[in-house]
Amino acid sequence: MGLLALLAALNLKVGSVRQADEAIVWRLRAPRMLAAAILGGGLSLSGFLLQTFFANPIAGPFVLGISSGAKLAVSLTMIFLLSRGLVSTSAAMIGAAFLGAMLSMGFILLISRRVRRMSLLVVCGVMIGYICSAITDFVLTFAEDSNIVNLHNWSMGSFSGIYWDSVGVIALVTGAALVLAFLLSKPIGAYQLGEVYARSMGVDIRLFRVELILLSSLLSACVTAFAGPVSFVGIAVPHLMKRLFGTAKPLLMIPACFLGGGAFCLFCDLVARVVFAPREMSISSVTALLGAPVVITMLAGRRRERD
Amino acid sequence: MIRTENLSVGYGKTPLIEDICLRLRPGQVVTLIGPNGSGKSTILKTVIGQLAPIRGMVFLDGRAMGALSPLEIAQKLAVLMTGRVRPELMTCWDVAAMGRCPYTRRLGILSAGDREKVWEALSLVHGEELAPLPFTEISDGQRQRVMLARALCQEPEVIVLDEPTTFLDIRYKLELLAVLKEMAQERKLAVLLSLHELELAEKISDCVVCVHNGKIERIGPPEEIFTADYIKKLFDIQTDDSELFVFRGGKHLRCGRTTGTCAALAAQGAARLLLTGQIPASAALTTPKGTRIEAPLEGCRLEDGSAFCSVRKDGGDDIDDTHGLLITAQVERWDAPGVSIEGGAGVGRVTKPGLDQSVGAAAINRVPRRMIEQEVLSVADELGYEGGFQVTIHVPGGEEAAKKTFNPQMGIEGGISILGTSGIVEPMSAQALIDTIALEIRQRAAQGHKKIILTPGNYGLDFLRAQGMDRWGVPVVKCSNFIGDALDACAAEQIQGVLLVGHMGKLVKLAGGVMNTHSRSADCRTELFCAHAALRGAGREVCQALADCSTSDACIAVLDRAGLRETVLDSLLSAIQDHLDRRVSGTIHVGAVVFSNQYGLLGRTRRAGELIDRWK
Repeated sequence: MGLLALLAALNLKVGSVRQADEAIVWRLRAPRMLAAAILGGGLSLSGFLLQTFFANPIAGPFVLGISSGAKLAVSLTMIFLLSRGLVSTSAAMIGAAFLGAMLSMGFILLISRRVRRMSLLVVCGVMIGYICSAITDFVLTFAEDSNIVNLHNWSMGSFSGIYWDSVGVIALVTGAALVLAFLLSKPIGAYQLGEVYARSMGVDIRLFRVELILLSSLLSACVTAFAGPVSFVGIAVPHLMKRLFGTAKPLLMIPACFLGGGAFCLFCDLVARVVFAPREMSISSVTALLGAPVVITMLAGRRRERD
Repeated sequence: MIRTENLSVGYGKTPLIEDICLRLRPGQVVTLIGPNGSGKSTILKTVIGQLAPIRGMVFLDGRAMGALSPLEIAQKLAVLMTGRVRPELMTCWDVAAMGRCPYTRRLGILSAGDREKVWEALSLVHGEELAPLPFTEISDGQRQRVMLARALCQEPEVIVLDEPTTFLDIRYKLELLAVLKEMAQERKLAVLLSLHELELAEKISDCVVCVHNGKIERIGPPEEIFTADYIKKLFDIQTDDSELFVFRGGKHLRCGRTTGTCAALAAQGAARLLLTGQIPASAALTTPKGTRIEAPLEGCRLEDGSAFCSVRKDGGDDIDDTHGLLITAQVERWDAPGVSIEGGAGVGRVTKPGLDQSVGAAAINRVPRRMIEQEVLSVADELGYEGGFQVTIHVPGGEEAAKKTFNPQMGIEGGISILGTSGIVEPMSAQALIDTIALEIRQRAAQGHKKIILTPGNYGLDFLRAQGMDRWGVPVVKCSNFIGDALDACAAEQIQGVLLVGHMGKLVKLAGGVMNTHSRSADCRTELFCAHAALRGAGREVCQALADCSTSDACIAVLDRAGLRETVLDSLLSAIQDHLDRRVSGTIHVGAVVFSNQYGLLGRTRRAGELIDRWK
């Protein structure tokens, strides 16, 4: 897995350098590459945690509307700060995204108490996502022109425009979340047998649920704050990793999802940047193009299994 | 281990069941029974802390559950609840290993000791071969066993199970409960479970808790709880004519009444009609087995000083050829005291010797005769009548029905037999019976027994008692007609010595290699007598006489007259020994003792002699 990440990294660095000088590589591409790898990992890990939490393989930060919630909060904050002539800091962005993510998560949790069917929960998540996107668009309509370009780019999802100072923050937050999630391996494993059994095997369910929600929200908030909403990574990568290793053991899956997510996003970012160069595609388009088929085959496969 | 005090449980604020005071001691198996929706699961969920109690407390090992950390609870209490678990991509071994969670460190990595415990738990549920299989791709029954192994991995002191037998077929039900019982006894595990199979609850429980009408209605040992009256009340079974049920193979089968019971019920009704002149609506009696049976009376009338009443034969869910016939009793006054019983139209007549009744008598067996006598006399007693009765039993259509039965071969002509020793027909599927037998043998083996006495039925038990063989300390297992299956089970459990004690009429079939001795499966008794008599020099006449016999007792009588009993029996016994040895392929010492009700001990095979000398 480490090998794969390395390969993708090299691929990225070398693939499109052409005649450009080292400064561009160092100042623009290296941080962008690192950010893509780390955020991709964080996104995929967040998906894995949410899937465990809802015992549903198609749960993910994007599908459940958590990314969109974060996006809304970030847009509002950005517009608010820019209109005051202030430059938004990484911390403020992450804070806002986290708040937005938690709000969406709160909604989802409220709904999940009422509906038992997981497909309904996902539909509700998608609805929340649309509502948040609509509000974001609405807000953008009234934003000042100079901000729009910037905001619009961001709200489509992109790893461009991330510099070294942001990478530090990203690495810190995501790294901390990764370590914390890894330490939760045991209760996550027990939780895969269901809440009742997890409790009976000594897991403090209430504490564990709070930890899981905070971690997954923090991860998707961090991604959204810097790269905007990125779709399908959270679902497709954990699924691919489970198939690849033939297990769902969290002790293995947590690092695997992280690394796999990193590699996946590196590859997607490469595609986004290179295929139609010099024009760039939004990262979300590429991840959707590559991730959605995986999700569809997964769902079809599950249906077959059940019949 | 577990104690509840004035516990009230339910969802939300309204209590579903109040005032629950349970006590569970180490080594005890306590079973909750009750109709669906009575709240068994709710109680269990509260006991394990999944639901908060509305009032009252649950104590685990003397400490309030609320004050214990989840980890402390997990090291003492394991659960197996309903609801399917569908973990992704986990092997059975992974699932079972989850049970070690309360003992592993932060990351849940298993030590060598942990692994050993997982294997041990899997072997306890006979699930080692399941270990590498994906959990989602095995059967429900296997899943349940793996989940139990997981619970055992937790090394609990208490295990709580909610309807653990739901998805299992009968064999695994018995096996699962046997494992639990064994764990309870050997590891002093306290087991609290709910079951909907009453016969299993009766078998496994030390204490039964009946949940009904929002309260614990009764608590007590199974023998106090499992009375037909109470079970009917508990499950609100509505019955016009007290219907009985047995639970076999996970099914709720209706018991029927034997022809003997019908005749006795009809006679009771007719006697009452005769003495009071009033038509009784129904008749009721207590069968020899102790169950109360009530049946509606039909066709009651008085004619020329005779009273007639009829009861319909009902085989329950065990439909046989006599099902639906009317059994009619005609009762007249008799000058002399006492009861004379005769067979009328449709009741067979004995034409060959060796049956329950002598030649020429009506085919009404001893037990039904006694029942009829008892019923009419009790009516006489009650009404102060001091004379005697003449009772005649008729079965309209009996002659036709009898042609489909074994009566013609038995030498009973002109109608069906009135028979039945227990008074009720208990339906039972063959596989369930075989499973039960195998389980009993396994349990004996598990208790460390290396010797077993097998006997087909009650005659054999009586004989063992009469011979004092029941006091040898060797466990006796009833094997019904499934002698081959019982021997297989003994061989599988590595029993060293098996003594088969049975009636000549059954065991003689073994001389022909017939290992299922039910008469529907095969009947070659007279043929075998014939063949072996011919081998030992019997003439054509003797052979013909043997071929005409209807029972093995009658065959013995023929051989006696020809002076051939010893030598023919020797020949048969050595053939029996050969076939027994072949069945077990020499893995166990097995011998047979053969008797008959008329002649007593008839002989024993070579190995049987050795075994008896050693076991005495």
